[in-house]
Amino acid sequence: MILNALSISMIFIGAISVFLTVWGGISSLFLYKKWGVSSTPEERTSLEDRSYLVLLIMMIVLLIRLINWPLFYGTLQSFIHDIEGAMCIFGVTQVKPSLTLFLEYLKPITFFLIGGWLILHFLDRATKTSPLMGRKLLLLSVISLFVLIDSVGDILLMIGIAPGTLVSCCTTVTDIANRPTRTTPESLLGPQYAQSIKILYFVTHLLLIGVVGLVLKFKKLGNTVPWRRGILAFLFLFAMVNGILFVISQIEVFAPSMMHLPFHHCLYCLWQYVPDSIVMYLLFILGTFSVGWGFTTELFGKRGEAADLLPGYLRKIYWFAFFFLLASLVMLIIHLLVD
Amino acid sequence: MTSNKRWVALCIIFIMISLVSGCKGERKSIENRCDYDGVKIEPLYAVYFTLQDGTEKKFCSIVCASMSFSELRDKVKAVQVVDEISGKRISAAEAFYVESEVVTVPHNRNRFHVFSNREDAEKHLKKFHGRWIENPFR
Repeated sequence: MILNALSISMIFIGAISVFLTVWGGISSLFLYKKWGVSSTPEERTSLEDRSYLVLLIMMIVLLIRLINWPLFYGTLQSFIHDIEGAMCIFGVTQVKPSLTLFLEYLKPITFFLIGGWLILHFLDRATKTSPLMGRKLLLLSVISLFVLIDSVGDILLMIGIAPGTLVSCCTTVTDIANRPTRTTPESLLGPQYAQSIKILYFVTHLLLIGVVGLVLKFKKLGNTVPWRRGILAFLFLFAMVNGILFVISQIEVFAPSMMHLPFHHCLYCLWQYVPDSIVMYLLFILGTFSVGWGFTTELFGKRGEAADLLPGYLRKIYWFAFFFLLASLVMLIIHLLVD
Repeated sequence: MTSNKRWVALCIIFIMISLVSGCKGERKSIENRCDYDGVKIEPLYAVYFTLQDGTEKKFCSIVCASMSFSELRDKVKAVQVVDEISGKRISAAEAFYVESEVVTVPHNRNRFHVFSNREDAEKHLKKFHGRWIENPFR
């Protein structure tokens, strides 16, 4: 176990999260089952009071868990000097490869779910009758499960990483000729795949920004807009495809170019050699997730009083998506021009 | 709307600061690092390529250098390696190469050792259960 300020924070946040999500998850499931079942006014008031307490505490836990994702990478970065052979985060991930990989996939999913839930929560709080309370409680119990697994994983990982472990770093894995990010596009696009990926990424990214811009053009994104749900679902899918292309193009083309290391394809090295790329990634993630959050808000937020407020919320969410995606693209272009 | 504009302005300022600081940091970190994976070079295990245009590329180990060599083969005019005993640069063609159980550069598990003297190479080979290997830059 490597002890530093960040690993202690991770363990502390993990332990608190485990305790509170077990309580919050079970409580929210219990409250969901009771919610809407006719009862006496006293019972109803008690149920509402308990729901607000659970929601308040869980909201704080979830907000902290949002920070946990970047904190996770910050902590792994802080371990580099204690792991023999590690020159970037990749080396640290090789100490407990399966668990780290699992957490690396779980964290963005949890982040997305938490973000989606928080938007739903804020939408519901803006109403007087809380029409989304039942859905919120049910979703909260599901998200609690993800947070619980994530928190236990964090604790196990922090305890399991032993200082002085000898590992091989990224050079021996990310740069091999038969890496999937090279072989797959090469088989589809031919030997000049790098150039094609670059163009493809710019086209899809600009198209995504354009379509989000078009969606914003619908003055109020009102409930009468035909096929709204279908359009937003398509946008979400498109954003995910764009996300996959972003990752492949970063590994194969942009990261080596930004690092001035044409044969090195490690994204963790990019974050360390070109620190502002972290901001670019953050903007891209927030932009892509905002598109998804727009869809989930449309999916779960169209009920009762909340349905009237939904268009305004959707507009804000897509405005953020538009801005974040554009900002990440501008950062990438500036970097490529400077290089 | 005004609050939106304020947020946009703040974000733009933040991005500009990030870009400026990022690009500055980038230039600083280019010095004395491996041209393959960017790691700090330990001079005793370094490899140097002189390219046709006169520029020099430096690498932290035989592993990184040989991976780059396969990509840069046509542009490389001369390759120099460092004798592990004396620390002096020698031509890659004149060196003796041994692969042994001793790891010199841990991040890429470089087990290749370079010697200018055949006896030194043989001593290392026997002591650390090594084997002879051919010049990787041919």
